[in-house]
Order: sequence, then structure tokens, then C-alpha cells
Amino acid sequence: MYLTIDTADPRPIYQQVADGIKELIARGRLEEGAPLPPLRQLAADLGVNLNTIATAYRTLQDAGLIVIRHGSGAVVASRRTTERSEDELVRPLRAALTDLVLSGLSPGRIQHIVMRELKMTGKDGK
Amino acid sequence: MNPDRLLVIFYGLFWLVRINGCVRRGRQPLLRGREWFFNVPVRPDFYTGAGRRLLHRYWMRMLIPFAIDIPIAAAIFLSGHIALLNWLILGLCALIHVNHVFSVDLAERQARALGACVREQPVTRMELSLTVRRLRDYTNPTLEWIVVLSFAFAFAWLLRQYTSAARHPDPRLVFGVPLVLLYLQIGLLVVKRVIVAWRSPVPEQQACEHVRIQEETRRYYVAVCDLCRVSGAATILFWLVQLNVPDALAGRLLGAWFAAWIAVGLVATVWAEIKRKRLVALALGTRPVTLPDFLHQREIARWPVCYQPEAPMLMLKGARGYSLNLANRLAQLSAAYVAGFAVLLLLLKGQP
Repeated sequence: MYLTIDTADPRPIYQQVADGIKELIARGRLEEGAPLPPLRQLAADLGVNLNTIATAYRTLQDAGLIVIRHGSGAVVASRRTTERSEDELVRPLRAALTDLVLSGLSPGRIQHIVMRELKMTGKDGK
Repeated sequence: MNPDRLLVIFYGLFWLVRINGCVRRGRQPLLRGREWFFNVPVRPDFYTGAGRRLLHRYWMRMLIPFAIDIPIAAAIFLSGHIALLNWLILGLCALIHVNHVFSVDLAERQARALGACVREQPVTRMELSLTVRRLRDYTNPTLEWIVVLSFAFAFAWLLRQYTSAARHPDPRLVFGVPLVLLYLQIGLLVVKRVIVAWRSPVPEQQACEHVRIQEETRRYYVAVCDLCRVSGAATILFWLVQLNVPDALAGRLLGAWFAAWIAVGLVATVWAEIKRKRLVALALGTRPVTLPDFLHQREIARWPVCYQPEAPMLMLKGARGYSLNLANRLAQLSAAYVAGFAVLLLLLKGQP
């Protein structure tokens, strides 16, 4: 159960942390009720600013994935994000697909990538 | 046997262990071969040029504790206050480790500054285990029961004995040593918790090997911590017996206790040496890497002590070596603990 941080990734660190935890929840590695490392400890472990992890946790809390309890840390609340319209959910997928098309990949190759990633994400999930 | 004589023997054995440690630390820069200076990759001509001077300076720094120890020990022996050797040994234990950590860091920084090193690129992808480790996963229930029951039994016995005595002796004489042992026990438990919770990111390449080293290191220090705690439990029971035996027997009992202590100490030293060698062998199987510095620690920590509330780490790697972050909760807790220990010793100072 690893959180990966890539300095070459254009996403800010807080986003990488939030996305990493989201992925672990989606794959079922972090189940409902599973505790997350305390904010201060995770920041110290990664050697990043406290606000970076606070922002990541807040993002996850806003998405309804975790609950932050003062004094007892954060726990995974649900494996489903808060209700959002399908159009809102599809928007980042559309942007990603646009990037793939613009990079010159064939539709068949893009379909293969999407299927592979979908399989990977659902692989460990229940 | 005279306690002072026992202390002098203990101090002599401490010297032997230190010489061994000094030789081991002296070999550390070249453990990875002549292409490395500690964990810094260097050019082939490094040890024939400026690197040789750096190596000699590092070796000289390893002798600093001896240079401090000899005059102080001489003063103690000449003044006849042999009991002060306890404090000297305690202080030297801390000094040896701090001196080593700072010397390694200084030597590595000087090697990099010389430009005689192969250029190191910080790793771009790193991984951090999110597995939550609990203290109970690293706890041996039997051992915990032994520690708890020893302390509970000792305090209950001493309390009963104190309250039922016709003439109450000075409470500091009865409860002083057990209180110090209890305080140390609490401190060791906190240390154990910190060791269990400790983790650091590892490079994506050889991640499994790095995680294994972390885990082995953790288990080694947890075992050392537990050994110290059991020693504390044994000491409190010995104290109980020592208080209750006739004066004629007390000297012999102290001698037997000391002999047992030395035997256990020797076994523990051999065990620690074997474990340490295993850890070194594991560490040599991985390539040292530089992890990215997100906080620009070199700029925010310029002195040995700093106050950086935004940086959550206990130690920052600053421009002039390690810097203790006073904004860290553990640093504050440690300061409070040391202060508490000093107050406890002051309260017990008048012990007859």
C-alpha cells in the first residue's frame, strides 16, 4: 500500500497525495474505516509542508472519501465520492481523452489504454 | 564488593566497547568500496587527493569523545568522586552518537563541496508506505506482563513496607530509585512508539529492498528498547531485594548482581553486533539515493537549532548540518521529558 510522489509530475504534491489515496480507496486497499496516517506524521514522513497534506486531506474530505476527526486522525469514510452529475464526472475523462488524441495515438490504442487502466483500477477493488 | 570498584570495572569495560565502536565507525566511509565515500559516489582519484585529508579528518573527529573523556575521568579519579563516572558514561554515550552523526554529515557535505564526487541526481519517483503500524504489532505480551507486574509488585511491596514500618525512613531512600526507573520506563515506551511509527519515503527503484532495511532496522531498535525495559524491570526487583537483605549480605548480593549484569551485557553486545552486521549487509545491497527536498531545508535551517512550524520534521538537513526543529512536537516533548528528569533528580538529591 504505497503512495507514489513524482517530482516530474506536473500535478502539485497535494494533488498527487489526494489522487494516490483516492486510487488506494478505489482499489480497495484502503477499506471503509481504515485509518490514514495523521496529517503531521504524513507531512513529516514525506518531508513536505503541513499545508500540503492538509490541502490533500481537505480535498478528500470534500469528495466525501475521508472523515477528519480532530485528535484521532483521518479515516476512510466511503468508497464512493459525493453525488455528482455524470456530466461533471465525465469532464476530466474528456480532457484526458483529448490529450491522448492530440498526442497522436490511434483510437484503437487509446481504447486499449482506457481498458487497461480501468482493469487496473478495479483489480483489487471489491 | 565496593560499589566504586564495580563502577571502575564497568568504566573499563565501557572503554573496550567504545574502542570496538570507534574502529567500526572508522571503517564506515569505505564500506561500499573506493568508489564511495560513505554514501557519496566519488571519482577514482578521490582517495589519493583531497579525499584522503577528509578521511583523516573524519577519523580524528571519531577521537573527540576520547579527548573529552580522558581529562574528565582523570579529574574524577583524582578527586575520588567515583560515582560521577555514572554521569560521565551517560554523557559519553550521547556524545559518541551525536558526534558520529554530525561527523558523517559534515564529511559528506565537504566531499560534495570539493567537487570530487560523481554528480548525484535526486530520485524523481518515491514511494511511501501508508500501512498504519500499531504498537501492539511490535509488542510481546509476555514481556509486557513481566515489566508491568515487576513494577506493580515492587511499588506495592515498598508501599506496604513503608507504611507498616514503626519508624518511617526517608521516602526518597525507599522510592527514589524505583521512581527514576519508572520515569525511564515511560521514556522508553515513548521512544518505542516513535520507532514503530517511523517511516520514510523510498525510491521507486529497489523499493522493496529499502522497505526491508527500514523494517529490519525498526525491529532491531524495538528489540534494543525492550531489552532496556526488561533491564529496568530486573533492576527494580533487585532494588527490592537489596533493601530487604541484611547489611552483611548486601555487598555480596551487589557483586552477584554486577556479575550478572556484565554477563547479560556481553551477550547483548554480541547480539547487537551480529544484528548490526546483518543490517549493514542489507544496506550495502541497495544503492544510496538522494531524495528530493521539497522544503528547501538548506535555506530554512541554517543553525543547529531552528524553529520552523511549517516543516513538520524533528531534524532538518540544513546548510551547516542537522538542525533540531524546536517547533516539532517530539522535540518539545523530549525537552519536557529531560526537564522533568532533572526536576526528579533534584527532588531526590537529598537522598541519604
